[in-house]
Amino acid sequence: MTTTMETTNENIRQLLEMLDNPDAYTEQQIQDIVNRDEDTRETYRLMVEAKRSSRHRQNQKPVDVDAAWQRFNQKLQHKQYGFGWMKIAASFIGVLLVSGIAFAAIHIVRQHQKQETPQTEITENVTTSVTTLPADTLTKDTVTVQPIIYDNIPLEKMLPEIAAHYDVKVIFTNDEARQFRFRFVWNPQQGINQVISDLNQFERLTVTRKDSQIIVE
Amino acid sequence: MIHLASVLLGDDEEAEDVVQDIFLRVADSDIAPKNDSYLLTAVRNACLNRIRQMQLHDKVKGLMPIEDEADLQPIDKRLERLEDIGAYVDEQLEEPHRSIFHLHFDEDLTVSEIARRLGLNPNTAYKYLMQSIQQIRHHFEKH
Repeated sequence: MTTTMETTNENIRQLLEMLDNPDAYTEQQIQDIVNRDEDTRETYRLMVEAKRSSRHRQNQKPVDVDAAWQRFNQKLQHKQYGFGWMKIAASFIGVLLVSGIAFAAIHIVRQHQKQETPQTEITENVTTSVTTLPADTLTKDTVTVQPIIYDNIPLEKMLPEIAAHYDVKVIFTNDEARQFRFRFVWNPQQGINQVISDLNQFERLTVTRKDSQIIVE
Repeated sequence: MIHLASVLLGDDEEAEDVVQDIFLRVADSDIAPKNDSYLLTAVRNACLNRIRQMQLHDKVKGLMPIEDEADLQPIDKRLERLEDIGAYVDEQLEEPHRSIFHLHFDEDLTVSEIARRLGLNPNTAYKYLMQSIQQIRHHFEKH
């Protein structure tokens, strides 16, 4: 009986010594000490509770709600800002996807046209087909499907260029918006309404269309 | 909520962080929290998750549970038990046991530091602390 008691005390003593300087022990040693027997394990659990009880008693000071609210607000804004960029990124991906599909369609049509040309004609006129057919058309097609990227360009410079393509004018009712800068991918093959919708993904921007005018509010 | 997180994590900043994360999740969700106990349970679960992810050395330094806590008891009952432990220490432990207990758990002093401060032999300080822990343990095992 006395020996069991002594062993228990020795185990708990080792636990206390380890807790005073855990860095001197490996993870395995810590696990071995805490889990040596049920008594030691229970003692550790009680110590966890005693520590919580101490924090519970000591930590009764009221929370500074204003300061906590400010910190929460900062975090919230940060999160919303991040989310805004995710929306923008999603719209870019959408634009790239549309361009990709258009490019693939042109490529398929061209392949199809090539296949329709009789075999004999190709072998006879190899040089002609190479020099006359693809060079011009290919360049032209590629330019039309390539989206134009405006990176950090003021809106007052970017938007009139886009508007000119659709033969509409730009009116800024919000002067601040003139200096807005962001990254925008414009696909000239898209309709004007789609472009306006993409622009409206930017949180600070409201763009509407009225007849032949694009209005930036 | 911050108080509960602070009791479980032992770090005020981290406690506030946990609570803010919960409110951000609530703000993102369309479903409003049903009541206070829903929020408190969310705090407890988030804290237990954080503890689970801690390194073993950090756990024992902060006297955190090192095994998964399947804590199904209502939170107010848990807090009540913590209050009972505190009351038992103050009312039932005798000196120098009580002072040694407070110096260890409230001021995070090691046993050697406590022994130095109280002018005791370290072995005696170990013995008193061990006796206190055993006494509390046996009392709460019965109740």
